[in-house]
Parts: sequence; C-alpha cells; structure tokens
Amino acid sequence: MSSWLDHTINGLIVGNVYALVAVGLALIFGVSRLINFAQGSIYLVGAYIGWIAVVHLHTPLPLTIVVVAVASAIVGLIIERFGLRPLQNSVRIAPLLATIGISFVLDQLVMLIFSPNPRALPSQLPDVRFQVGGGTIGPLDLLIAGVGLTSALLLFVFLRYTKLGWAVRATAQDRDAAMQMGVDVNRVNQAVFGIAAALGGVSGMLVGMYYNQIDTAMSLQATLKGVVAEVVGGAGNVPGAVIGSLLLGLVESYGVAVLGTSYRNLFAFLLLVVVLVLRPNGLFTSARQAPPEPLTGTFIAPSRPVNIPRWALWGATAGFAVLPLFPVSFYVLQTLINAWLLGMLGLSLTLVAGTMGQVSLGHAALLAIGAYTSALLSLTLDVPAGLAVIGGGLMSAALGTLLISPSFRLRGHYVSIATLAIGEIVALVILNWESVTRGPIGISGIPPLSLFGYDLISPTSVYWFSLAVMVVLALLQGRLLGSHLGRSFRAIRDDDIAARAYGLSLNRYKSLAFIFGGFAAGISGGIAAHLYSYINHETFNTQQSILALTVVILGGLGNVVGAIVGSVALVGLPEMFRIAAEYRILIYGIVLLLLVRFRPQGLLGTV
Amino acid sequence: MTSAPEALLALSDVNTFYGQAQVHFDLSINVARGHIVCLLGGNASGKSTTMKIILGLVKPRSGEVRFDGASLIGLSTPQIVRRGIASVPEARRLFADMSVRENILMGAFVRNDRDAVAQDLDRMLTLFPKLGQRLAQRAGSLSGGEQQMVAMARALMSRPRMIVMDEPTMGLSPLYVDRVLELIRAINQDGVSVFMVEQNASLALEIAHEAYVLQTGKIVLSGPARALKDDPRIRDAYLGGSEAA
Repeated sequence: MSSWLDHTINGLIVGNVYALVAVGLALIFGVSRLINFAQGSIYLVGAYIGWIAVVHLHTPLPLTIVVVAVASAIVGLIIERFGLRPLQNSVRIAPLLATIGISFVLDQLVMLIFSPNPRALPSQLPDVRFQVGGGTIGPLDLLIAGVGLTSALLLFVFLRYTKLGWAVRATAQDRDAAMQMGVDVNRVNQAVFGIAAALGGVSGMLVGMYYNQIDTAMSLQATLKGVVAEVVGGAGNVPGAVIGSLLLGLVESYGVAVLGTSYRNLFAFLLLVVVLVLRPNGLFTSARQAPPEPLTGTFIAPSRPVNIPRWALWGATAGFAVLPLFPVSFYVLQTLINAWLLGMLGLSLTLVAGTMGQVSLGHAALLAIGAYTSALLSLTLDVPAGLAVIGGGLMSAALGTLLISPSFRLRGHYVSIATLAIGEIVALVILNWESVTRGPIGISGIPPLSLFGYDLISPTSVYWFSLAVMVVLALLQGRLLGSHLGRSFRAIRDDDIAARAYGLSLNRYKSLAFIFGGFAAGISGGIAAHLYSYINHETFNTQQSILALTVVILGGLGNVVGAIVGSVALVGLPEMFRIAAEYRILIYGIVLLLLVRFRPQGLLGTV
Repeated sequence: MTSAPEALLALSDVNTFYGQAQVHFDLSINVARGHIVCLLGGNASGKSTTMKIILGLVKPRSGEVRFDGASLIGLSTPQIVRRGIASVPEARRLFADMSVRENILMGAFVRNDRDAVAQDLDRMLTLFPKLGQRLAQRAGSLSGGEQQMVAMARALMSRPRMIVMDEPTMGLSPLYVDRVLELIRAINQDGVSVFMVEQNASLALEIAHEAYVLQTGKIVLSGPARALKDDPRIRDAYLGGSEAA
C-alpha cells in the first residue's frame, strides 16, 4: 500500500520532469513571447535518442544524458533557425502556428522511423528502493531530482553570471532596448531554444526510464503539461515555472491517489483553467506586470479576399450536387462526405478563429459533444436520427459556449491554450463519465441517419444530405458575415479595446460566435456519429482540431468558401494521390508550415 | 548630396515609409564631430523615427546614413551600436527587473575589457553620485529622474563616440530637467557628440550647437541654435504656448 509520503515523492519527481519542460517554455516565452507548442516533440525526440543510445550504442548513463542533451539542443537550434527565424517580421499568429506544424512533423517523423509501438527504455540504474520514513525512494528518483536541481543551478548561474545570460534577461524585459545595447537578439533566441531543447530532451529520456516505456503519444502530453506548469507559474517566469511544475506534479499525484489514474490529466487541465480564469498572469506574478499582450490587429494576416463570382460558386455547388448521378465510385463519394463533414467543422472554426480571432485548438470537443448527444438521444430516447443531429448541434452550441466562456477574458496565445485544455477536459470527462458515455468502451450500434422516417443508408443519400447541410450552414454564415453582427465580430478581432470603447460587449459577441460555431461543429459531429455507427472518446481527438485549423488557414481565416475549399483539398488530395494514412498528418504539418511561411493569408485570403 | 567632411553623422535624402504612409521626405541632417545637435518637432513629425533610422530599428526606403564616413544602411542595430553609437531611448526603457548595477553594465555589453568596464562603472558613480546607493535596487523601482540618470550612465558605458537621445527631459521634474541638461553638456565636453530629439525647444536650444526643425517629415528650418532661438517662427511655434513647466 502506498503511503502519502510515496505520493508526495512521486509528485515531486514528476514535477521535476515537468519543470525541465516548463523552464524551457518559460525561457522561450520570455524572450520571444511565443508558446512553443513543439516543446513536447523535442521531449519525444530526446526520449528516442536516449533509447538509441542505451539500447543500440550501450552508452553509460552519464554519456547518455550528454548525448541526449546535445542532440536535442541541435534539434532546437534547427527549429529556431529554419522554422521560426524566417517568421520574425510576420504576423503574430505565424510563429504559434509554425510551432504547431513543427510538432506534427517531428512527431510523425519519429512515428515513421520508430513505429507507433511503445519501446522499452531501460533505466541503466539498479532496481532497488530505499526506505525513507514511511515511503520508499529509488535511484532513478534521486537521478531525476539530481538532474532537476543541477539544471536549475546551472540555469541560475547562466542567467546571473554570464554575458549571454544577461542578454537573455535583458531581451526578455525589453527586446528593442536590448538591441540598442548591442545584444544580438538572434543569438539570444538560439541560446534559449538550445537550452530549452536540451532540458526538454533530457526530461523525455528520464520519463522514458521512469516508466520504462516510450511512445509517440508522449509528445502532446508533455507539451500540455509543460504549458500548464508554465502558465500556473506565470508565463515567462522561470522560477515560477519550476514551482508551477512541482505544484502540478503534487496535485496530480494526490489526485490519482484519491480518484484513480484515468483522472490524472483532468487535474492538470482543471488547474490550468482555474489559474487562467482567476490569475491569468500566473500565481507568482505581481499585478504590476503588464497583462497578456494583445495579439489582435496584426495577429491575423491582413489581405483582400479573392473575389469568386457568385455564378461560379453556384455552378460548383450544382456540379457537386449532380455528381452522384454519374457513375462515380463509392470511394469518391465517401471521400467527399468526409470533406463536407470537415467543411462544417471548418466553417465553425473559421468563424471563431478567423472572424472572431479566437484561435481554438480544442475544436474537436465540439464535434464530440454533438456526436455523443446525437448518438445518445437516438439510442436511449429513440429520437429520430435527423432530429437527434439537430439536438447534437444545439447541445454543442450551448455546452460548448458554456465550457469555453471562462476563456473569453483571455487573448491571443492564452485563448489557444485554454481551448486546448477545455478540449482535453471534454475528452477526459467522456472517458470517465461511464454511466452516461459508457467510458472507454464507447458507443456502438448508433442508428443510421434518417429524415422524415426514411433511412439514409445509401452513400448517395448521405452525400446529398451532408452536402445540403453544409451549403445551408455556409449560406447562413455568409449572411452573418455581411451583417452588422459580422462587422462587430471583426471589430473585436481587430481591436478589442477600441471595440469595447464603442460599447460592444465582448462576452456577448464571443458567446454568439461560439454558439453559431458550436452549432455547425455539433451538426458535423452528430452526422459523423450516425455515419460511423461507433464512437469513443478518441474518435474526435486533438489531431482533428489541428486538421480543422490547417483547413481554415489553408482556405484563409474567416473565409467561408475558403473553409470548404480547404476541406476538399486536405481530405481529397491525399486520397487522390493515394497517400498512406501514416503520412497524412506529416503532410498536414508540412502544409501548415509552408502556408505560414509563404502564404499566411491562405488560398482565398482572410476576411 | 555629399556630407561635409567634418560631419560625424550624416543623413542625406532619407525617405521613410510606414506601409503606404511617408514619414520622411528627403531628410538631411548633419551632426558635426563634438557638437550637440537637436531635432525639434511636434507630435507625429517623424522625430522618433529619425532616431530609429540612425539605430537601424527602421529601414529607410531610400537615402543614405553615414557614420564616420561609413554607411550604416543594411547594418543591424547591434552592429551600429558596435560602431560607437549609444542610445538613451524614449521613456528610458530600462530593464525593469534587473538591478541598477546590471542595467548600467548592460551598457557595456559590446565591450570585452572587464577591468576598464569596472573603472567606468566607478566613473559613472562619480558622475551620477545618487546611483551609488541604488545599485542593488530593481531599476523599475526608481523615480523617473533617477531612471533617466541610469539610462544616461548605461549609454555612456559603451564609450560611445555619439549618443542619440529621444526626449531626455520628458516627464521629469524641473529640478531633474536642469540636471539632465547639465549632464548632457558635461558628456559633450568629454568629446561625445550628441544628437537629441526634443519637443521642448527652449530647453534644447539652450545647450545645442545646431538645431533642425522637423514638420510632418520635412526639415523646415535649420541652423545654429543661437540664431534659431531668436527666430520668430520658432518663437511662435514652440516657445510661446508650449513652454515647459
């Protein structure tokens, strides 16, 4: 039986691991006001480099640590030099999106090289445990604590007593003034990315040894935990990140002790949401520090949307509508149905992220709410599927808006973090609320779509149904954008302070945007549930959220037609070229990176 | 247009744009070696942008900026600083969470002669005696006047040949305004050329050798400070209503 002391030790050890990730995030945020979503990928890369070193090269432990640190640092330097430095003069959203793209590329490369199957990473330390008071502690615990403390000490000495360390601190406080002292800001960026990557990589290796297992799912989890710890400690605050990490480790450890392992992540994200809402500058940042800087205005690449004549749009719609009358394969219809479903999600996200400027990274949660509502309505209450889908849309609009409302007072990157966390919370609630959602087993036997008593089973009928729903939603959204309400949305996106000065209530308009967006996403999820006939907590995951984001950026943020074009392109083109599924995410990541670098306004331009 | 041989800093025919909007129209300014030159102008006249051009923070669309005979165009800000130009930015821009000592030493970032830097720090403390007791304090906790002293000490630490200052007296109490002007004069007498941007014409003309008047991006008046002081156009535009308290 584990004692409380054991849980405390475990919490502090896990907290140490988080700290290695979070400190790197804090350094990077301090210097470039960027939340590096690729930090978890470096942690993953570090774990696999450690695996190569231990299993294939048989390096002794000290050398393993050095190898991992150096190799990870090199990865970090490459990311900084080729992924982020070219974006220095770009819009504020660009580096954020680039780190998301980089993380997908790195994760997929690791998966392709090492296969998605977990690997065992032996700890290289004797497996003994010492009695300490009422608990036990092993050599690996001591190693992790030792690495954590040593890193903290080295970092302190670096920041306090070296010239480059001074430059890092000065740049974090005032970038322009630092340049006027002769500080080369690019070198500072390099330094923090190198340090952050070295710490992150070593952290990944230590975690692999701690659990004796590594797999590619580690990446996103590490990013999320690191971000939680960093935000809890106050973004950009290095000592705060350490304390936030230890706090997070303890909260998780005690939480797991009380409620069980499947709740572990729920505590992390609830802690994040609570901190973001109550103290968005973190627990240890005094009020004098400026509030999170506005990322509005230049946040989204300004451009003039490509003007597509009305007849061309109607022509294309008519063309797709009559397509099933021609001898096209089931496979083509299936692909296009997926594109229409993604198109609805894209409409939702392009409204929220593009028109309203709230870059949501948890949009898949809206799909999940719609899907589960619709599935449960039709299964347990015998509601006809057509009505159930509408119920799913309404539920998604209501519940989604309610859940996201705590993030309304946040801006820029913080909105992305909060929505990411809220999305994860939804998935975790679905996993743990077994009496309603059937937990990990998922829901099977969901009846097919039906309309006025007729079952829509043939691919052709499903195709027409989803196309028609999407077109109606698109028309409504087009009307919305041209209306007074649409203008108010864009006003808030471009300058929320000015918008407020003109009497616009931010909360009300953000709610309205999420209600519209939630409805479209919920409908999409509902249709998907009836189409798949089986859903579980992983059907609608973060990858879907990122895919949706790529779609709307490809089409042009805020652009209704763009969202649909983006969906068809991202669903259709990989199918057309028969690209194997495991390469798709890699391609989405690369598409995202190329867009951010060369055409941030998307194919059809932002609106 | 070529600059006069004795000019340490010469801007010639500079045209600057922010997007579509033109900020400078054929701007030409010379700072003679050893002189204090002042750029006067109201809000949105392009004064601060002139400073940014010199420091390489903003790139002009056309025109030339030469320092000691060599072009600064295309150099990064750190490179320009290494050529011998230090700055006292608008609103001081200290590193608020670093100590006063660290702030002053940051000014010597481009130098590698540790011992001489330590001596210069002592020299700063004789020049700015008040800062002696404040060395360990957070720079952000100082008063505006004290911060201005730190900013000037910081700029001097790089042993610059020229200091550019953006509104060094802005927001200071009258006592500190006089002190700052005295210090600028003292710095100049040590051989450092000074280019300062000011809104307060009467104060600036007090210590400057030459002055330029910038109006919506164009130089409308220039000459020796003594002559400008008595120029009726200056008096009407600047010395009448906007005499600083």
